[in-house]
Amino acid sequence: MADVSKFKPKTVYVTYIDAPLEKVWRALIDPQFTRQYFFGFAIEIEPRSGGAFRLLAPDGGTHVSGEVVEWSPPHRLCVTWRVAGMKDFGELPECLVSYDIAQAGGSVQVTMTESHSWDVPDAILRGGQSGWPKILSSLKSVLETGKALSIETGMPAGFVDAVKKAVVEKPWLRSSS
Amino acid sequence: MDKVFKALADPTRRDLLDRLRAENGQTLGELCARLAMTRQAVTKHLVLLEEANLVATARRGREKLHYLNPVPINEIAERWIGKFESGRLQALSDIKRALEEGTGESR
Repeated sequence: MADVSKFKPKTVYVTYIDAPLEKVWRALIDPQFTRQYFFGFAIEIEPRSGGAFRLLAPDGGTHVSGEVVEWSPPHRLCVTWRVAGMKDFGELPECLVSYDIAQAGGSVQVTMTESHSWDVPDAILRGGQSGWPKILSSLKSVLETGKALSIETGMPAGFVDAVKKAVVEKPWLRSSS
Repeated sequence: MDKVFKALADPTRRDLLDRLRAENGQTLGELCARLAMTRQAVTKHLVLLEEANLVATARRGREKLHYLNPVPINEIAERWIGKFESGRLQALSDIKRALEEGTGESR
């Protein structure tokens, strides 16, 4: 299993959702929900630490694969995350994605944290940074109104080249400072 | 949503957001070191930004790290900017940037 202490949070996003906490948890782990707000991807997850985790594209292909690092319903889910469905991307070191769910007064606070074990270039981080706010806004909309937002995928400028460069240079193999 | 607009109405707080955008995950100490402000003043601004959910924090060991959280701004955009407008607005914003960069070079 991934050595969590090596990972540093690089992107942290928070949204507040007006829905019961248990329902928010279900929306994160139920493919019926994830298909609505996560670019059409269906989650497949074994409900235990060490279990397998995948996000399946609408055509059935594996877009993301990983392992459950922490399964603590209904408050915390942490998985390793390797993007298998995009060229070159699968060769980058896996990252960690965690969701923390907490009651905050009348609403529920959802915190998404993306952590990395190496000094990821900003151009690569911007890939996640362009997607997560849309995903979280859409999750909120699905839970509060029953309707997903019409979000589009699309990678920011420089992203593909930065991934290619990293795969060639493999900066994570250098001894960390 | 009021909190977001109030938080953004102050130039120092926008500056703090810009600093986090340039370098995400800074500690209070790192943010203070680059601003000519007392620790207390920076803390006060950060609390307002956190209350508006524009800044998210993560603990790492004993450190508290601060992150720019654009989710509320995305929600504002989703509310007033439809999906067909966003393409046109992006084009306008690209033109503006290209023209402004052009002036910069000729100076």
